[in-house]
Amino acid sequence: MPPANTIKVNVKWSGKKFDDLELNLDEPGLVFKAQLFALTGVEPDRQKIIAKGGMLKDDTDMNKLGLKNGHNFMMMGTAGELPKAPEKKILFAEDMTEATLNKAMDIPVGLINMGNTCYMNATLQCLRVVPELIQDLQKYSGGTDNLDSRSNMTASLRDLYRQLNASGHGVMPVQFLSYLRKAFPQFSQQGNDGVWAQQDAEECWSQLISALKTKLPVHAEGQQNVISQFMEGEFTTTLKCDESPEETAVVTKEKFAKLDCHITIDVNYLHNGILHSLDQKIEKNSESLGRSAVYSKTQRVSRLPAYLTVNFVRFFWKETERVKAKILRKVKFPFELDASQFCTPDLQAKLTNTKLKLRELDNAETALKRRHRLDKESGRMETDEVSEEQKAVQAAQEALEGSLDPELVKDVGCNPSGQYELAAVLTHIGRTADSGHYIGWARKGDTDDWYKYDDDKVSPVSKEDIMKLDGGGDFHVAYLALYRSRSFKVKSVSKKD
Amino acid sequence: MVEKKAVAIPVPAADNSPMEEDKPLKKTPKELKDAPIKDELSEEDQELKTQLEMLIERLKESDAKLYNPTLETLRTLILTSTSSMTSVPKPLKFLRPLYPDMITIHESWPENNDKKFLADILSILSMTFDDDKLDTLKYRQLGSQNAIGSWGHEYVRHLSTEIGQEYERRQEKEADSQDLVKLALEVAPFFLAHNAEADAVDLLLQLDIVPKLVDFVDKNSYKRVCLYIAGCVNYLESPDDAICLRTAHDIYMKHGKFSEALLIAIRMSDKALIQTVFDSCQDPLLKKQLAFMLSRQQISVETEDEDLQNCLNNTHLTNHFINLARELDLMEPKTPEDIYKTHLEHKRNTGVAQVDSARQNLASTFVNAFVNAGFGVDKLMLTEEDDGGWIFKNKDHGMMSASASLGMILLWDVDMGLNQIDKYIYSDDENIRAGALLAVGILNSGVRNLADPALAVLAEHLEDTKSLTNRVAAIQGLGLAYAGSAKEELSELLLPIVSNSDVPMEISSFAALALGQIFVGTCDGEITSTILQTMLERADGQLGETYGRFMGLGLGLLHLGTRGQCDVTLETLKAIEHPIGKRTSVLVEISAYAGTGDVLHIQRMLHYCNDHIDADSDEDDQFQAYAVIGIALIALGEDIGAEMALRSFTHLMHYGEPVIRRAVPLAIGLLCASNPVLSVLDTLGKYSHDTDIEVALNSIFAMGMVGAGTNNARVAQMLRHLASYYHKDASCLFIVRIAQGLLHMGKGTLTINPLNTDRQIMSPVALAGLLTTLVAFTDVRTLILGHHHYLLYSLVTAMYPRFLITLNEELENEPVAVRVGQAVDVVGQAGRPKTITGFQTHTTPVLLAYSERAELSTEEYLAQAPVLEGFVLLKKNPDYVEETKA
Repeated sequence: MPPANTIKVNVKWSGKKFDDLELNLDEPGLVFKAQLFALTGVEPDRQKIIAKGGMLKDDTDMNKLGLKNGHNFMMMGTAGELPKAPEKKILFAEDMTEATLNKAMDIPVGLINMGNTCYMNATLQCLRVVPELIQDLQKYSGGTDNLDSRSNMTASLRDLYRQLNASGHGVMPVQFLSYLRKAFPQFSQQGNDGVWAQQDAEECWSQLISALKTKLPVHAEGQQNVISQFMEGEFTTTLKCDESPEETAVVTKEKFAKLDCHITIDVNYLHNGILHSLDQKIEKNSESLGRSAVYSKTQRVSRLPAYLTVNFVRFFWKETERVKAKILRKVKFPFELDASQFCTPDLQAKLTNTKLKLRELDNAETALKRRHRLDKESGRMETDEVSEEQKAVQAAQEALEGSLDPELVKDVGCNPSGQYELAAVLTHIGRTADSGHYIGWARKGDTDDWYKYDDDKVSPVSKEDIMKLDGGGDFHVAYLALYRSRSFKVKSVSKKD
Repeated sequence: MVEKKAVAIPVPAADNSPMEEDKPLKKTPKELKDAPIKDELSEEDQELKTQLEMLIERLKESDAKLYNPTLETLRTLILTSTSSMTSVPKPLKFLRPLYPDMITIHESWPENNDKKFLADILSILSMTFDDDKLDTLKYRQLGSQNAIGSWGHEYVRHLSTEIGQEYERRQEKEADSQDLVKLALEVAPFFLAHNAEADAVDLLLQLDIVPKLVDFVDKNSYKRVCLYIAGCVNYLESPDDAICLRTAHDIYMKHGKFSEALLIAIRMSDKALIQTVFDSCQDPLLKKQLAFMLSRQQISVETEDEDLQNCLNNTHLTNHFINLARELDLMEPKTPEDIYKTHLEHKRNTGVAQVDSARQNLASTFVNAFVNAGFGVDKLMLTEEDDGGWIFKNKDHGMMSASASLGMILLWDVDMGLNQIDKYIYSDDENIRAGALLAVGILNSGVRNLADPALAVLAEHLEDTKSLTNRVAAIQGLGLAYAGSAKEELSELLLPIVSNSDVPMEISSFAALALGQIFVGTCDGEITSTILQTMLERADGQLGETYGRFMGLGLGLLHLGTRGQCDVTLETLKAIEHPIGKRTSVLVEISAYAGTGDVLHIQRMLHYCNDHIDADSDEDDQFQAYAVIGIALIALGEDIGAEMALRSFTHLMHYGEPVIRRAVPLAIGLLCASNPVLSVLDTLGKYSHDTDIEVALNSIFAMGMVGAGTNNARVAQMLRHLASYYHKDASCLFIVRIAQGLLHMGKGTLTINPLNTDRQIMSPVALAGLLTTLVAFTDVRTLILGHHHYLLYSLVTAMYPRFLITLNEELENEPVAVRVGQAVDVVGQAGRPKTITGFQTHTTPVLLAYSERAELSTEEYLAQAPVLEGFVLLKKNPDYVEETKA
């Protein structure tokens, strides 16, 4: 027999309905809550019992609520744990300083413009894609207290690169700049108003390379220092007199630090321009004729360096307007360059084998891709076993590695395959050499991602953005391109995870 | 029908030019050859002319006995003559020169039946004169008062025009016009009987006696009459519009069309009338339909029946929505990335390690909330993960919006959803707690539960002395949960907060806003005076706070759609010297005339925008922003006005001050909410690249509003483009993301357009939500991009599925075939015109776009609702015979 003051109520909770619960009006709310705890497993202090816009408190006097038989309550509350904040606090981009943000996003830092020094900043950033150079620079032991300003410059460059690697924010290349200007006084030219004048990045690049060539120690694996070993090639130049065929051709060998890409009306691609510059007609005094005559000067590369610099000869002196004007013509440059076409027949012979094998690899890879696509279309599951095409690719890769000419492989710092890939681009925007802006664009490691180094502003860009740098408009136009030799070391075959 | 074929009168020439001009111009070549010279008449005509002249001569004679037969002959001649539409009937043509003579004759006769008879003939004859003497009417009244239609339809039409003209003249002179009314009451039934409902309504409207229609219409004509009356309402001034609606309602009621009558009553927003309609309906099925229609407008009426109560309270909304989602295969939750489709954006950020950006995560929170709204499942918030889940991927105030997003995801699901939110109310973090409170409010928006859980939970936190955020959240929650309910308890709870000048302006303002949302369109006197009092009492510095706008908006919402009733409030506002007085008065004015299409008020708003207020001067220019929004608000729901408003916006964009230019996109968003019109998208696309970044921000948001819930591919593409364009500007990107979330709101099943039921009814509750959001955007930097982004959730009151669900008598889904096509305006069209065009046949449930209409494509069922939208109950057609298969 229930106590007299008991009514039956219904409780709805989480989509469930508990009908006909007995509620003793004389007892406080807590008792009812305990009753519900037994049913739902929700602790009393986590229960919210709602009746007509009000909540049932632990000490509510039930008699005053005017409850009737069959009253409907609604209960809110859940058993179980409350949400907890994660132990490791999440760090948000907005909380970070620019430095930590750049670190977190793995964006390299830039160099602050010290007053028209973009030519230097862009050059320095582009050169950073040559790891051998950076390493050897770190081995340089000199200080900055020499009498020789070039030594000081080298030492300060070493420090600058060290700083760039460690710093989280843009670096001011104060010291390096002052030594650079001391070593090469042409860069300390000032305008009428005392502002540092704009300089040619190519000149800076060449001067820097030549200075480093004299200062850096011998490379660990070679006989020469890193510049000569990795960044300098060798031309075989044939000089033949056109006007007196009987005169014997003179063959000489000379070092080169860069290839020029001459831009004329019929040059649309990088290799056109380079070939154009390799075959020239010059006028010189012929001993056999005793007068000046036209000679054909044919240069061919007899050694390809691991890092090949190509200079788009875009600036020329315009006599009429007395400015160093710029050729805006669009010259497409490839991401992968086959340099064998610039080589001497001797060298070409050594490279052909590699070239063939490369083509085989390409074919094998295309086949593999097609296979993948077909598999996908037909909905076939990818199996663990290695397909025919995959095997072919592997074989081709191995063959390619084996195809390299052993003699060339021995030559440290040369490019044994004749195949290059783009590593950095230095661009110029503006109409003349003395105005505008230089920017460096460098590849991130072995990936297809690029960084744009606009002084201290560094931002990630895509391969497509780099392709847009080929000129033809008032956008950034490639001025210097740095290619590096492609590596055909067989990577551990990536198996499907 | 004798009258019909009798006479057809062209517009007569003004002067007494030769009658031959009235001859049909086209003649066959043969006729042309044989045609007599201009003045010569054919034999037949000559004979007729002579006969007529002779008859008139006879009238001039003194033999009174001959008059009657003579007049009889005249009438017969007139009646029996046939004519084409383009020429005057011959007898009338030949009688014209004799007209002055006949008038003289008429005047000379003594009063008798013959004189009246002659007046009848004069009445028809005078139709051929296009002067403003109104002779037709004059002689009609002097005539024998025979059946109005005895001279035919054209005569009646002419007469009706003259009645109108004469009435106007008398109005000017303030003369009595009872006789005209009497005549009009003869004319109207004639029109109604002869398919000229529009003429009948026009005449009665002109004479201000529309209510008389109720007695005239029968079961054949009432539909077209009511459609026409309802169509007229947009172009009438107050109080004519109310009278018209009332008449339409009475007609529907007279013919037992409760659902139609209810729609009219809702349009009039007359609570008592709604209750009467509801109570007078006895058919249980129809009554349920009425309940569904009321629930769509969130209007509650008294009823004891539990089933009806459930319909009224929208209790089933969540179930039906989930069912719809299952039917359309939309249950799989979507992640923000599914919406952004960053792989389609122009790639820029390749190779960058991912860092959690609080701003971007917050955007994802909103996107997740809007996209999965109402589905009860998502992939961020309601997951069982140990790391505390997505909430903690938000920062500080962001966590508030994150936990509030639960309310959006679990929208409408009171029974199950509240429990999932409950645990967050116990959180240690103030922001999470606040968010959970807001979530409770959001979840209860648009549905009612007898236990009033939102009130129970939130009321406790109103006085939370420790946390300002919690108080604001509780207030906001109440506002959203009970928007439009006009619950007295809430005014008791919230009013003290408004009037308490010790609490910060923020709390006071949001309390006023919540009251505005709850008591939207009621003009509640106590609340109005309290808000006004607060504005008078508060210090200038406090009134100048950005939150002040919400206090003003609260006052505005109270007067939403009430037209002239705001006058007293406007007067009082003049007494407030602080700029907030002016701002608020604009807000009140635009709200009061919302959706009326009132041209005068639109002009006033444009006038406000004329002033070029220098931003550096002390003068306040904020009110101009509200005036711009007001143009859209007033023009809303009336197509031509809306079109004109859009045109005037381009001018404002060209010549306006920044404050005006920033408000223009918002106004466009309001005008075309969930209605992605191509031209509007182009305009907004252009503004989204504006140099003034706030114009751009608002335009991007407006694009989200315009596309809200439509999944429109073009908007999606434009927004993706903007995402790439603004990839470096965190604020813009934030708004772009939110716009993307709005676009895919409810995975494309929801709408935020305040107009529903064939765009006839404007929902005040929906408008309240939209306006709150838009007003927040007038200070986008401090509010939306600052700490009050949760105001975006105010849109919830406007969110409703754009579905058509057909239910049987047991309220279970009953799939039937329906045709869905573009709506066609059929007001005043002759015959039985098609109401949709370019339709496709679907099986319910279906989604309806803004300009679409549905109709049943089977005769098997009868729809209980006049407009196929939302929930429609079906009844088996008793007369249905299944087509025998051949």
